[in-house]
Amino acid sequence: MSQRSLSRLQLHNLHLAQARRTVLEHLEGDFKPGAITALIGANGAGKSTLIQAIMGELRPISGEVVCTVAKERRAWLPQQLALDLTFPMSVEELVMTGSWPSHGALTGYCAGHYRKGREIMARLGISHLAHRPLGELSGGQRQRALIGRTLMQEAELLLLDEPFANVDSETVDILIRILRQMADDGATIIVVLHDMDHLRRLADEVLMLNGGHGRWVAPSALTHQHAPAQVVPFTMGGRHAGSA
Amino acid sequence: MLDLLNVWFVSPFDYGFMRRAVVGGLALSLAAPPLGVFLVLRGMSLIGDAMAHAILPGVALGFLLAGFSLPIMSIGGVLFGLMVALLAGAVSKMGGQREDAAMASFFIISLAAGVMLISLGGSSVDLTHVLFGSILAINSTALLLIAGISTLIVLILAVVFRALVVECLDPLFLRGQSRRSGWVHSVFLGLLVLNLTAGFQTLGTLMAVGLMMLPATSARFWSKRLEGLIGIAIVLAMVASTGGLLLSFHLDIPSGPSIILLAGFGYLFSALFGRYHSLAAKLRRKTTPLEVEQGA
Repeated sequence: MSQRSLSRLQLHNLHLAQARRTVLEHLEGDFKPGAITALIGANGAGKSTLIQAIMGELRPISGEVVCTVAKERRAWLPQQLALDLTFPMSVEELVMTGSWPSHGALTGYCAGHYRKGREIMARLGISHLAHRPLGELSGGQRQRALIGRTLMQEAELLLLDEPFANVDSETVDILIRILRQMADDGATIIVVLHDMDHLRRLADEVLMLNGGHGRWVAPSALTHQHAPAQVVPFTMGGRHAGSA
Repeated sequence: MLDLLNVWFVSPFDYGFMRRAVVGGLALSLAAPPLGVFLVLRGMSLIGDAMAHAILPGVALGFLLAGFSLPIMSIGGVLFGLMVALLAGAVSKMGGQREDAAMASFFIISLAAGVMLISLGGSSVDLTHVLFGSILAINSTALLLIAGISTLIVLILAVVFRALVVECLDPLFLRGQSRRSGWVHSVFLGLLVLNLTAGFQTLGTLMAVGLMMLPATSARFWSKRLEGLIGIAIVLAMVASTGGLLLSFHLDIPSGPSIILLAGFGYLFSALFGRYHSLAAKLRRKTTPLEVEQGA
């Protein structure tokens, strides 16, 4: 937090490809700590490719991703996660796995970890579900438990892929509040969003991917559009147009 | 009554071979079912079968080199099993094929190679022995080996337990957390090979999988918790191995198949009458349609 102004994730002239086909090029970016960036774009625009590159799972063709956040403080929450719903694990156990960075694989949890886990579940309003198996949760409850894991992890870089899909409105409210708190504590947060209403409530910055290029736009520029709210208006601006 | 109990359950153990057999069976029952539970949870239930075939050429080579020496055959089995696992992993990493496809190809090659090797150097009796085992022929060296390997498996499993759970649920998360997350998978495959090698003497390479998988698949009908699954699977395996042994003693039937068939009977019973997802559970749910959601 002492170095708030110093950005901990930067993209320099990034060129990314999947299966030898260029997906994104000339991508510049500067993700500030404490800011929530919305990543928008049509299907196939390269959102998940970019996320893979940021997580270090995909090697860029050229350019670079400069990330000063330690690998174990980076959290990546895929879309409604490819979790096995029949997996015999309780909410508390899932949240506790987030304490990995502080003790590794071989040592056990101590009382402090459990206390922290209970606090986190209380913040997310899932204390009453602590011992419920994951398979019996609703989409919203499951999403809260997964966010609980990232809180436990004390994630400093958090990437979420459509966290509000399949989620009830109460959960949306809670998640937006929690994400804002995490950002205020200095985390860098990137969220893939489709819904303009969520974007207006959450995003400080917007990175729009379209036609192989990325464009930084102000959230206000998007939300003032009177286009139908659910869909990102791709017609606005050419691919080489300057920022709005 | 007491006499009957004595005749059925106590007097068989007057024989040394029965005592060794039951101890060997119990040791295996401690180590194998937890591995089976993880295999089921990872959606890799058939990999156990594949690995069982994969150790065969190694066992056969050991047999050709040193005759019927369990330690040598076991070492051969472990080496060959690990090699096949690594090869399958490498082929799938090269791209193109999923690991299970590569594994399926390698295991069938291994099976053919193993049978060929044993036939070249021995008789069909030897072949039957390696494929289907003979728990009643365990000597003290073999027993020590089985108990030692089982102990080692349980200890290593305890150490890597949490990493294994996290990897089962969300491999991406584990990869984010640890630079060496690949070791969890390798250690697990190694334990699998070790366990099958310990099991082949008693149950044979083909049936050793049974004591690993059947209790694990049965336990899914009784518990929704990991500890529960593992505990129930171990108890089921112990009952099956001891019960099967007694049945084989009294009815004069082969021991390996009777142990596995007893475990198989447990599976069918669980599928019909278990607490969760069984036929009975489905019928119960139909007759009591409206259950009030508690909590929330």
